Amino acid sequence: MRNFGFIIDNRRCIGCHACTVACKAEHNVAVGVNRTWVKYIEKGQFPESQRLFSVMRCNHCDNAPCVEICPVTALYRRDDGIVDFDNRRCIGCKACMQACPYDALYIDPQTHTAAKCNYCAHRIDVGLEPACVNVCPTQAIVSGDLNDPESRISVLKAEQSVSARKVEKGTEPALFYIDADQDSLDPLAAEVADEFMWGGQNSGVGHFAHDSDSDDEHILEKFGRMLSFGETSTQLGKNVAHQLLDDLASTPKRAYDAPQKGVLWGWQVSGYLWTKSIAAGVIVAVMLAQLISANFVTQGLELFSSVVALLFLGITGALLVWDLDQPARFLYVLLRPQWRSWLVRGAYIITAYSGLLVLYAAMSWMWNWTGGPVLWLTLLVTAMMTAIYTAFLFAQAKGRSFWQSKTGVMHMATHAMINGAAVLMLFANWWDDSFVWYLRYLLGITAVVQLLVTMVELYFPHGDAESKLVVSSILSGRYSRLFWGVSIALGTVLPILLLMLGSQVAVTVAAVLFLFGVFAAQHIWVRAPQQIPLS
Amino acid sequence: MSNKANRGWIERLATSLKIIPEYLPTSDAQHESLNRYPDPEHWDHWSEYDPATWPEKVKRDYMIVPTTCFNCESACGLLGYVDKETGKIKKFEGNPHHPGSRGRNCAKGPATINQINDTDRILYPQKRVGKRGDGKWQRVSWDEVLDDLAGRLRKAIQEKRNNEIAYHVGRPGHEGYMDRVLNAWGVDGHNSHTNVCSSAARLGYTLWHGYDRPSPDHANAKFILLISAHLESGHYFNPHAQRIIEGRMKGAKLAVMDPRLSNTASVSDYWMPTQPGSEPAVLLALARQLLLDGTYDRDFVSNWVNWRQYMVNKTGDSDASFESFIAQLIEDYKEFTPEFAESESGIPVETILKVADEIGKAGSQFATHTWRSASAGHLGGWCVARCLHFLNVLTGSVGTQGGTSPSGWNKFKPKFFETPPAHKFWNELHFPNEYPLACYEMSILLPHFLKEGRGKMDTYFSRVLNPVWSYPDGFSWIEVLSDPDMIQCHVAMTPTWNESAYFADYVLPMGHSGERHDLNSYETHSGMWIAFRQPILREAARRRGEPVEFTYQANPGEVWEEDEFWIELSWRMDPDGSLGIREHFLSPYRTEVSDEDRKISIEEYYQFIFENTAGLPEAAKAEGLSPLEYMRRYGAFEVEKFSYEKHKKNVQDDLVSKIDDGAVVDEAGKSIGIEIAGEAYIGFNTPSRKQELFSQTMVDWKWPEHAAPGYIHSQVHPENINRANSEFVLLPTFRLPTLIHSRSGNAKWLAEISNRNPLWVHTDDAAKMGVETGGLLRVSTEIGYFVDRAWVTEAIRPGVIACSHHLGRWRREQDPKANRWAMNTVDISNENGVWKLRHKAGTHSYTSDDPDSQRIFWDDGGVHQNLTFPVQPDPISGMQCWHQKIKVEVAHADDRYGDVVVDTRKSMEVYRRWLSMTRPAPGPNNLRRPLWFKRPLRPEESLFYLD
Repeated sequence: MRNFGFIIDNRRCIGCHACTVACKAEHNVAVGVNRTWVKYIEKGQFPESQRLFSVMRCNHCDNAPCVEICPVTALYRRDDGIVDFDNRRCIGCKACMQACPYDALYIDPQTHTAAKCNYCAHRIDVGLEPACVNVCPTQAIVSGDLNDPESRISVLKAEQSVSARKVEKGTEPALFYIDADQDSLDPLAAEVADEFMWGGQNSGVGHFAHDSDSDDEHILEKFGRMLSFGETSTQLGKNVAHQLLDDLASTPKRAYDAPQKGVLWGWQVSGYLWTKSIAAGVIVAVMLAQLISANFVTQGLELFSSVVALLFLGITGALLVWDLDQPARFLYVLLRPQWRSWLVRGAYIITAYSGLLVLYAAMSWMWNWTGGPVLWLTLLVTAMMTAIYTAFLFAQAKGRSFWQSKTGVMHMATHAMINGAAVLMLFANWWDDSFVWYLRYLLGITAVVQLLVTMVELYFPHGDAESKLVVSSILSGRYSRLFWGVSIALGTVLPILLLMLGSQVAVTVAAVLFLFGVFAAQHIWVRAPQQIPLS
Repeated sequence: MSNKANRGWIERLATSLKIIPEYLPTSDAQHESLNRYPDPEHWDHWSEYDPATWPEKVKRDYMIVPTTCFNCESACGLLGYVDKETGKIKKFEGNPHHPGSRGRNCAKGPATINQINDTDRILYPQKRVGKRGDGKWQRVSWDEVLDDLAGRLRKAIQEKRNNEIAYHVGRPGHEGYMDRVLNAWGVDGHNSHTNVCSSAARLGYTLWHGYDRPSPDHANAKFILLISAHLESGHYFNPHAQRIIEGRMKGAKLAVMDPRLSNTASVSDYWMPTQPGSEPAVLLALARQLLLDGTYDRDFVSNWVNWRQYMVNKTGDSDASFESFIAQLIEDYKEFTPEFAESESGIPVETILKVADEIGKAGSQFATHTWRSASAGHLGGWCVARCLHFLNVLTGSVGTQGGTSPSGWNKFKPKFFETPPAHKFWNELHFPNEYPLACYEMSILLPHFLKEGRGKMDTYFSRVLNPVWSYPDGFSWIEVLSDPDMIQCHVAMTPTWNESAYFADYVLPMGHSGERHDLNSYETHSGMWIAFRQPILREAARRRGEPVEFTYQANPGEVWEEDEFWIELSWRMDPDGSLGIREHFLSPYRTEVSDEDRKISIEEYYQFIFENTAGLPEAAKAEGLSPLEYMRRYGAFEVEKFSYEKHKKNVQDDLVSKIDDGAVVDEAGKSIGIEIAGEAYIGFNTPSRKQELFSQTMVDWKWPEHAAPGYIHSQVHPENINRANSEFVLLPTFRLPTLIHSRSGNAKWLAEISNRNPLWVHTDDAAKMGVETGGLLRVSTEIGYFVDRAWVTEAIRPGVIACSHHLGRWRREQDPKANRWAMNTVDISNENGVWKLRHKAGTHSYTSDDPDSQRIFWDDGGVHQNLTFPVQPDPISGMQCWHQKIKVEVAHADDRYGDVVVDTRKSMEVYRRWLSMTRPAPGPNNLRRPLWFKRPLRPEESLFYLD
């Protein structure tokens, strides 16, 4: 069986961009986005200065994370090793763009679906070389079958020392460089920029491309920007990772690069985490209580919690659909399930959870009887899974090292319990004192646990340079004020102290603050890793 | 392994219930091996899958038509894919049958489709309404255009105002077509862009061997020395880059002289960032070192260099030995020690010695190239080419395998169906007496000559030429183009709106690549080839059996081509044949009496050339094709696979009249060869038929100090630059791999990669000025200033500022919308003779048929620097010396990005100062110009003599 791959021979590459344009011509790739491009790095001091060229594109991984995370099999690996895609299936969830460690994917502003280099599969299938291979003046791009030891690509690979990008991600890339420059392959070696030796970027591309002449911003977009604490959705220029990278003494400079695609999971995603944690958390809190002692839970509480959960699940669903670039295809997640994707698993978990909630609420409403420990435990587990599955989804996003953290599950769980308890606490007047007392302890304990987990995570750094950059951006970089000020001081420590005061007002204020704190934490958790350049 | 077929039962159920559409996976077709291109036998009917619907396998049917690229002069092969359903061109790929480009292209090749589909292109002939430059236009028919212009030209010729007709061309893109037309008209009207481009290098090469360009055989070289950036730019970039890398992969080393770290310099083995203008000093030091090391080619130098003439001139000794010549040469160049070269250039002695060693070892496999770059920058820039070729001469690498041949050996000369006699005029607006040795016309001085009243223009054709934008002193061009007394009728022939066309009376849309006929042949390597640029849609229509009479009937709108336009215009200029023009446009294939007065068609024009191309009729016959059919099918033909040492061709015996002291002379007494060891060789195109180390021509034409290769201090030599006063050298000419002057405009995929031209400033210089990347700087020249952003980098020599010349395109608010991918909208005003250009808007999204026009993510198109450069014509070569002495300071408070301010009165002063450096004709025998020098559109010989 064939296994197509590429070799980029940097002994030959002259950085001319012919591959970039030939690819655009073959696939009519929209302005602003690229299936292949040439990154320029400058380093060294005059007269030892150098400019180095690296052709960037899909690595056609043997173990492609984009394929694994794609909920609808829009991305797939063909028998001949080509990672291809079917944009008719794509829902525009952008998970692939988080999963790919190589920055290979983009949202096509014409189709609003993900796209990338597909090795010109349509040409391969009529027996023609990819367009970039053909055009290259110096034959620096070599295609071929890596499984055939006689092929030119295999011979080159055997005879020359080659390197690949981010092999530590376990993706088993099928694109190799001869004479690679490590500073060019390492996204962190040179700062991202919006101003280059012969060009610049002033507005968004791909997902963020202008759809019309008008600069008017939709009211909901404005709202979204507000939720994003003033960060712009395109995240251009010096805003991007600039401060993060200041910490590293990086002499190499990006002299040319493709336009930045921006932060692709924006406020809708942090918003959905927040609403989902409420939807899950109220039930977790109530079921735990129910399992501890049936006396805690009144019919009012049963109905209230299940209605709140359903309401917030509804908002969660709406945010999820809203975030899609092909919202009309949202049902594909359920109807074209690719079971390895946590997006699919999550969608089914949410669906199951919704069903159980309806059942639970209906039983309570009609019979004032909710079935007993088996149902309660099932609900508890489903709610908890609803809360935490996103941690597995994020972990599936191989492109973002920080999300690979094992503490993700803990965060999601504690955030759900804090948010759930806090929402219930806002209506403390309606509940028995004993339940309120329970809520206080639940909130207090989970908040302390959450604080500990956060501190352990951030102060005992794990993972690679990328994760460490994210951590430093949180502790001392662009997110430090949001983190220390809103998430920790106002959103965790202060409400814990208020809980200890115990007065009605103090506890209500604490609940509000907790909800803010969790949103801030989730916002940071979603956004900060996306500031790190992938290429 | 495969994930594509894993549609589970849920999806199957959902699709069978028709809740969601069924998207079935497709199977992979297995092809044993991959080809680069469809086999030509399938070019009439080629099917491939539509990438837009992929992975749904929808076949689309194409007709594949070869043509050549017209974004630079290399004329690389292209294949146009004509979609049979829409009848439109879908894309361009390389033509594997093209011997120069071999199926490969640079970024500009595939971007041609952008230019074809440009949302702002001119589709119909336009005639000015209102005052020239007002920006109002109306559509006219080709008939109206032809009749009006034919009448004007006829009248001018009848009134003997032949010198008031001029055809001013940018890149010609054809072989000899226009010379034939102008000779038929009897008009000395050829003007070209050459002296903003390559006049200097041409003089350097001409003085050595009568050929004016180098043709390096990079693929077989052992050492390559470039004073250029041919891995990224310049013609013949793509063909050269292929072969330079080929040579390197076989072990060749590469050295690049460039004050700026070009992409080429960056991949080289030796980057020599010379102080601008010092290149000849380094080259002479290398030459001296070869002499000292004894690594020169004794055989070649003793046989093929006019060293005896050199010795006679130096010592008066006509019997000097070769050894004494070498000793004399070492003595004469003793000043050029590596230490001296280092002090001039900043290149360390060790590097110079190492490179000299490498050159010596490479011997006859030493390939060199210079074209624009340093040659085009400096007073005496022609010395760069002269000193570079000196190294080829010393190493005996002239015309060898792996060496550097004269261009003419690798370039095809077509045979025309009819050749009119040479015209009988000498237009001093093009060849003024002040510049008798100028290689090509003094085109940069046309506005200044017109302002001085040296003449006027009745009809001025500009063709793919945009002097307002690409020439120095563009505001002076605006002044004369706006003045109907100086230029009565300006006809701009161009595929796209441009800054000069805004000041025209007619704007005539001429086709891009793939929309026109041309014959191409260039010295891309050691072989020789021809290529056929053909209008793709016209050829497709012909293949479909629906031939058209004129190319504009097949092209978009009524976009035409020059070839047919000139035939039609010439025909109408002489309706009754009384001017003697019509007879030169009669078909050579007239057979019957009724056919007697039949005009030549464009097909017949090329048919004749191809029928008379050596080897082509045979190659065509072997495939059962006529020569024209062969070229229509394959688009190119290899005339010679390789060609070396053509100077050693024997002189035809019957031409020899006598052999006198080694000189082979014909009946007329003209030197036609040289005798060496009893053999009569044709030698080189010089009076001595040898490589001329010593140039009697320079002595005869009053420049005895430049009789041999030397070093002239540039206008930007450090002695003229006061660094303490924030003065710098500006390199304003460098190119990008993605663009070519104003030609590559209107291509969105190129514009998105390259859209600005910031000032490259070295880190230390930036720190001194307190500027960072993005900071605004004001750059002042002798006649004005411009304001641009800084790009702070280690990739440039300190003390030198560089700015790419491709960018900074503009239109005024009143001008037609043009190239909105890259054009700024500007305000131009003139107060008391001072011109001011200010950006009103940069690039921005706009609505059009192309949704990409709403996705423009860059906000400006760069800064137009050339407006602020005075003309600085080299007094000998006539070349514009581009590099500028500038003062750089942080922008003033009221400066805005893109500002340009120029006083054209000052530019007249600078012009006069440079003019005063010339040593005018006549030369010997009252000549205007050496007879043996090339001259475009050469008049009858009698015209070479001043009255």
